[in-house]
Amino acid sequence: MGQLSLKQITKTFGTFEVVKDVSLDVHEGEFMVFVGPSGCGKSTLLRMIAGLEHTTDGDIVIDGKRVNDLAPVDRGIAMVFQSYALYPHMSVFENIAFPLRVEGAPASEIKSKVESAAQILHLENRLDQRPGNLSGGQRQRVAIGRAIVREPEIFLFDEPLSNLDAALRADMRIELTRLHKQLGATMIYVTHDQIEAMTMANRIVVLNAGDIAQVGAPLELYHKPQNTFVAGFIGNPRMNFLPVTCKEVTDTGVTVDFNGQRLHVEVEAPPSRRSQLAGAPLTLGVRPEHITLGGGNASMTVTPSVMEYLGQNTIGYAPLPDREETFCFVLPGTQTVPAETPIDVTFSTADCHLFDSDGRALPRRANTADLGAPALQIERPTA
Amino acid sequence: MMNPARRATRILTLANPFSKRTRTSAMMDRYTWFEVVLIYLGIFVFLAFMLAPFVEGFLVSLKPLSQLFSTPYNFWPENASFEAYVTMWDRIPYFALYIFNSLLIATAATLIVLVLVVPAAYAFARFSFKGMPLLLGAFLAVSMFSGAVLLIPLFRLMRTLGILNTYWAMIIPGAAFLIPSAIWLLRTYMMRIPPELNEAAYMDGASQFYTFRRVILPLARPGIIVVAIMTFIGAYAQQFIFALTFNSKTEFMPLPVGLFAFFGRQEVVWNELMAASFVGIAPALVIIFFLQRYLVGGLTAGAIK
Repeated sequence: MGQLSLKQITKTFGTFEVVKDVSLDVHEGEFMVFVGPSGCGKSTLLRMIAGLEHTTDGDIVIDGKRVNDLAPVDRGIAMVFQSYALYPHMSVFENIAFPLRVEGAPASEIKSKVESAAQILHLENRLDQRPGNLSGGQRQRVAIGRAIVREPEIFLFDEPLSNLDAALRADMRIELTRLHKQLGATMIYVTHDQIEAMTMANRIVVLNAGDIAQVGAPLELYHKPQNTFVAGFIGNPRMNFLPVTCKEVTDTGVTVDFNGQRLHVEVEAPPSRRSQLAGAPLTLGVRPEHITLGGGNASMTVTPSVMEYLGQNTIGYAPLPDREETFCFVLPGTQTVPAETPIDVTFSTADCHLFDSDGRALPRRANTADLGAPALQIERPTA
Repeated sequence: MMNPARRATRILTLANPFSKRTRTSAMMDRYTWFEVVLIYLGIFVFLAFMLAPFVEGFLVSLKPLSQLFSTPYNFWPENASFEAYVTMWDRIPYFALYIFNSLLIATAATLIVLVLVVPAAYAFARFSFKGMPLLLGAFLAVSMFSGAVLLIPLFRLMRTLGILNTYWAMIIPGAAFLIPSAIWLLRTYMMRIPPELNEAAYMDGASQFYTFRRVILPLARPGIIVVAIMTFIGAYAQQFIFALTFNSKTEFMPLPVGLFAFFGRQEVVWNELMAASFVGIAPALVIIFFLQRYLVGGLTAGAIK
């Protein structure tokens, strides 16, 4: 058990709508990540699922039961806080045992459950210590221990790794993925870090200003973003957007005019919209890592103002004439590209995305599987 | 353990403000020699004002009465003796009762204040409700009045309630005037307890009262002890005016009023008065010293981040 549905959830603070009419199904055993920029409503959405905030409108349904008015415990939910929220005056043992003590569980049961939780989280030798004597990673594990000891059906994580340093964060990502496999429970994880989202999620929900921008598997979002927001948010450095004009729409794709070059991008354009698209301004999206020096069937000349040599790759930033954003390209390995010198960069139209003037994507024809994406681990609903 | 010789040198180097090499203090905490001199001079001046009366009071208690009025006046006592500490018990037979009354009144007022203030401060710190700023402001405004200004209305109030000349006449107004500052003090302390702990406890199924008892109270303990000490001292110090006004029964009098007995018709028995003052505050000092041991700082370390 652990199936969660959100039905047209709305949350307003005063007159400000933080979450707008969000509907979503989270499957049993799924690792679902809410990702989005600061203030997009992802934490508010999580707190409503947790039962810490009221919903202004809409239903939260867990295993077929409406839980809007139930306390968190009765929803079968446990939550791990960004700040850990450990009880500093209690030992690690008592911290983990707290939910069981509240329940009034017998001492022997508390002992065995806390010990098994401690074993899963490698905290056996820390049970007598106070949280103040633990490192950040250990505190985080205590907080997780307190959540798993009650064996809830759904776990909520509110940016749990954001207080850890980079190396520890990478370790904890792997730990959490392992924990998810071990427990098999539904997990909902909020983060603003797209690397956490891409590495841990079965599916990602990208939120933008209280709306769901797209829901999908990590690589589906990367390869087939449905709008410019998702295209720009997923992937680092962010996708380049270039203005183009639509020339011709056919069954195989759309031909656009890009700085005098005619490029044929393989996207689907429904016949009903074709007449409307012809001649219209479109946005061509190409990711920095798909830019090459030579090769490809499209080219442009840029003058990088800043070059970053990271060893593993080389990143260049070039201002575009009449555009606010800079053009970014990532070249593999260490390449000697001097700054302030015009160079010709190329890319292949097979890697390109096309967006209409409203920012909606014209779906790429390429199959996600052909782009190297592994099959989804979670069965998608047939309905 | 450090060996004694090394420990001694370490204490020496720490105590020497002019040693530059072994100093471990931060750069911004270092001072030149004349700054150190000025700082200590300032400390000395104010300490002298505070402590000189105590020193002289103690010395007076050691002197025979005749020496107190000799000219020229001798600061240091000749033939010092603790005789006054013995004779005072004979002059005022109720003295032990006065000390007991003082402690009883102060303790009762402190307990009443704690029972009322701890939940009130928690409510003011954690919940927001209608009229909260107004109430807090009112508490602050009330505590600006000294109890002395309100003596006459208080007298009439207590006469109506029929509690004049009882312990309650001293305990209740004593507690009432200490509540506002105690609320402000404890509220500030409780606001430092992260609200995430409440949310975490709520997520774990704890009721509001369970959270208060098992999470908030233990964490607020240092703050509660500070409030207890402040209230106890306050109740001890302010009982004079309430006792003098609202009580006329000798057996209920607290120490400060009891000390009046040393003021005779002709003369004031200064040496016994001083001796009695020192003996009188001793129990209070012991209690405060005892409470202070429970003041542990940094209890919230490790709660968040």
